[in-house]
Amino acid sequence: MTSSIVFDHLSFSYQNTTAPALQDISGEMSRGSFTMVMGHSGAGKSTLCCAINGLVPRFLRGDYVGMVMAEGMEAGKNSVPDMARAVGIVLQDFEAQLFSTNVELEMAFGLENQCLPRSAMEERIHTFLRVVGLEELLRRDTATLSGGQKQRLAIGSVLAMETPVLVMDEPTTDIDPEGRRHILSLIRRLRTQERTLVVTDLDAEAAVQADQVWLLKDGQLLAKGTPAETLTDSSLVESCGIRPLATIALFQAMNWPGQPLTVDAAMAEIDNQGLLCPRCPESRAISALTTGKVILETRNLSYRYPAGSTNALSDIDLTIQEGDFVAMLGQNGSGKTTLAKHFNGLLKPTAGDMFVRGRPVNNCRRHELAREVGYVFQNPDHQIFASTVGEEVSFGPRILGMDRKTLERNIAEALDATGLSGFEDKNPFLLNRGERQRVAVASILAVKPAVIILDEPTTGLDYVHQLDTMEMLKRLNQLGHTIIVITHAMWIAEAYTRRSILMKEGRILLDGPTASVFSDETMLAAASLAPSDLIRLRNRLGLAAMTLTDMVKELRGENILK
Amino acid sequence: MNLTFYNDKATWLHRLDPRTKICGVLLIFVICLCFNHPLFIAAILAGVLAIFTTAKSIKVLWKLRFLLVLLFVFSVVLWPFFIKGKTILLEWHGLEVSRESLLYGLAMGLRLTTFVSAGLLLLATTKNEEITNGLIRLGIPYPVAFALATAIRLAPTFADAGATIVQAQVSRGLDLDSKNIFSRFKRFAPLSIPIFISAMRYTNFLAMALESKGFRPDAPRTSYYEPQITGKDWLVLGFLTLILAACLYMRIALHWGIIIPGRL
Repeated sequence: MTSSIVFDHLSFSYQNTTAPALQDISGEMSRGSFTMVMGHSGAGKSTLCCAINGLVPRFLRGDYVGMVMAEGMEAGKNSVPDMARAVGIVLQDFEAQLFSTNVELEMAFGLENQCLPRSAMEERIHTFLRVVGLEELLRRDTATLSGGQKQRLAIGSVLAMETPVLVMDEPTTDIDPEGRRHILSLIRRLRTQERTLVVTDLDAEAAVQADQVWLLKDGQLLAKGTPAETLTDSSLVESCGIRPLATIALFQAMNWPGQPLTVDAAMAEIDNQGLLCPRCPESRAISALTTGKVILETRNLSYRYPAGSTNALSDIDLTIQEGDFVAMLGQNGSGKTTLAKHFNGLLKPTAGDMFVRGRPVNNCRRHELAREVGYVFQNPDHQIFASTVGEEVSFGPRILGMDRKTLERNIAEALDATGLSGFEDKNPFLLNRGERQRVAVASILAVKPAVIILDEPTTGLDYVHQLDTMEMLKRLNQLGHTIIVITHAMWIAEAYTRRSILMKEGRILLDGPTASVFSDETMLAAASLAPSDLIRLRNRLGLAAMTLTDMVKELRGENILK
Repeated sequence: MNLTFYNDKATWLHRLDPRTKICGVLLIFVICLCFNHPLFIAAILAGVLAIFTTAKSIKVLWKLRFLLVLLFVFSVVLWPFFIKGKTILLEWHGLEVSRESLLYGLAMGLRLTTFVSAGLLLLATTKNEEITNGLIRLGIPYPVAFALATAIRLAPTFADAGATIVQAQVSRGLDLDSKNIFSRFKRFAPLSIPIFISAMRYTNFLAMALESKGFRPDAPRTSYYEPQITGKDWLVLGFLTLILAACLYMRIALHWGIIIPGRL
C-alpha cells in the first residue's frame, strides 16, 4: 500500500514553552487506512493533527524540526489554505467552527473556497448530508442543532471537500452517548470510502475498529500497531492516560486465557472455554437508596424557557437526601441541566415548587442560595478571572462576607481537597484543563455548600484527570457533602454514584440505586444511553458489582457487600 | 439574550436581492433626514413598520423593544435642552424648553427608532452570507465585507457566552440582584475577564477552522447563493427613489415638515 501521510522525525515545541509538544515522531499512515491516535491530555494529539495540515507551524508557531508529508505535499512548506486541498480537518471545538447561518451554507463554505460552480456544490451538499444523516435539516439554523448534529455537520462540511485525508480531533467528546454512537458508525462507514482517516479519542472502546493505533505519551510515540497488538497491553494503555478496555482488564485480572476486544468476543470466549458457570441475575443483591434528611425537593415542578413552545421540564417530583451521591443522566436536551439549575435558583419554576432545606427557592436571593448549593459549570473558563489561584478561590467566600479566619481555613481546605495546595500563587490561566477544572471546583468548595452540583465535570479530561476528579468528589462525599453530577460518561456514574436519575424529554424516566438502574439496559436504551463495556459484561454475567475490582472479588466468590 | 435577528421566512422581502435591500435601507435613512417634524417622521416609521408586517418579522422588532424605547426616551428627554425655539414653555436657571425643541426631540427620537428599525429589517430578512455577497457585489473589498458579516455573526455567540458567565458567577455568590453601585463595580472583573478570554479563544479557533477549509480573504471564491436582480428589485428601488424625490421636493420647495429651519 502507498503511504498517504509520512512523519519524518517531527519535533515541535510551542512558542514560549520549554517542554516539547512532539518529540521525534516518525511513522507512516497508508492510503485508505484508519489510524486512531490516543494519549493523555497534553500528550500531543492535537498538535499531531494540526501538523498534518500545516496549522502547526504556520498558525500555531514554535520550534519545528523534521517533516510531515500529506499526499505528497509538505505541510510545513505550504500555506494552510493550500494544504486544505489534501487534508480536511475537524478541530476539537466543533461548536466554534460552525460559522454559517444554516446547514446548507455551512456545507457550502469549503466548496466556495474551492471555487466550485453552484450545480456541483448542490450535488456534493446533498450527497454528504446523506452520508452524515442530516439531509432533512438542509435549511436549519446551525445554532438550533443538538451537539451530536453539530459535530456531524462539522464532519460533513469537511467531507464535502473530498480531500483524500480526513483528520478528526476528538470528534466524540462533549456529545451525548447517542451522538457518539452516530459519529462512530459514521467513521465505520467512511472506512469504505478510500480516504485516509486520522482520529484522536480518549476512549479505547472507540479504537477497536481502527487499522492502526498510535499511543502518545508526553509528545513521544510510545507504540504503534493494530488494536490487537496495542490495546491488549493494559499497563501500556494506562500509562498513556487511557482507561484500558474492560474486557482485557477483566480477563487479565481473572487470569483467563484470551484477549477479547469487545463484549461479544468476551462472552464467546467465556462460553467456549467454559470459564464460568451461568448465574441467575435475579439473585443479585443490590443495596437500597440512602436515607437521610431531605435537602432538595421538587414538587410538581415544570419549566418552560421564555422563548420555548414546549415544557423543558414537566411535573418533576424528586427528593434528594443529604449525603447522597447522585448521577443525572440523559441525552442532550433531556432536561438535566435545566433541572439542576433549579436546585440553586438560577432558574425559577414556571409551575410547581422547588425547596432547599424545606425553604421555597422563590423566597431566597440567588447569592444566598450559593451558600447551600454550589454549581460548577461545564467550562471552567466561564468563571476564572483572577490572576492567582488563591484570589480566584477566595472570591466566593469573600463576596459572601465570611470573616478572615473562616475564609483562610476554607480556602486551605478547598485547595487541599482538590489537590491544589501550593498552587495559591500560580496564574490559573497557565494551568492545564484538568487543573483549571479543579480550580473551578475549589472556588465553589471554599463556600462550603452542603450540595455541590457539577455539570459534566470530566469532559475534556483524560482518564487520569477523570479519576482524580472523581476520587476528589468521593472524598468530599465522605466528608458529608451531597454530590450531584450531570454526566455523559457512563463509567463515572457506574463506578462512583449511589443513585442514578435517568431523564428523557423533560421527565424522569427512571430513578433508583445506580446498580439497579444500570441493570436495566432496555430502560437505558429508551433514554438513548448504553452502559459501558464493563457493566454490559456484568449484566450478561449476572453480577452485582459495579467496578472491576469488586467484579473480580465477586467472581472469586468473596462477599463484596461488607 | 438571543441576538440572532434573521427570521427564516419566505416573503417578498426575503427574496429580494441583498443589494436592493442594502440600498433600500440607505434610501430610507436619507428619507428620514429630509424632515424634522415628528408627524412626518412618524409617517416614515409607520411605513417601515408596515414593511415589517409584510415580511412577517414584527417579532424581531419586539426582541429589541427595550433598546428602542430607551433610545426614544433618551432622545425625547435630552434634545429639548440643546435646541432653542421661539415658543418658550419652561424656563429654569437659564435652561429653557420650548414647544419647538420639544417637538424636535420627539422627531429625533422617532428618527433614531426608524434608523434602527430599518437596519433590523435588513438583518431580519437577509442571511449573513447574503449581506456579505451583496456588499461585495456593491464593490466593497472582500476583507471589509467579511469582517462586517463576521461581527454580525459573532454577536449572538458572545452574548450566549456572556449569559453563561453571568450564571456561573452568580452561582459563586456574585450579587447581581442588588442595586448597590459599589457592588456593581465589584462585579466588573468577574464578568468581563472570562467574556474577553472566551471571545479571544473563540476568534482564534474560528480563524484556524476557516483557514483549514481553504479560506483566504484575498483569493477568488464562488458563492452558493447567487442572487439575481429582477424586475421586482428595480420596482422597489424605483419606488423608494420616487419617495425620496417627493420628500426632497416637499422639504426644499414647499418647506413642509420643518420644525426648526436650517437643521437636518
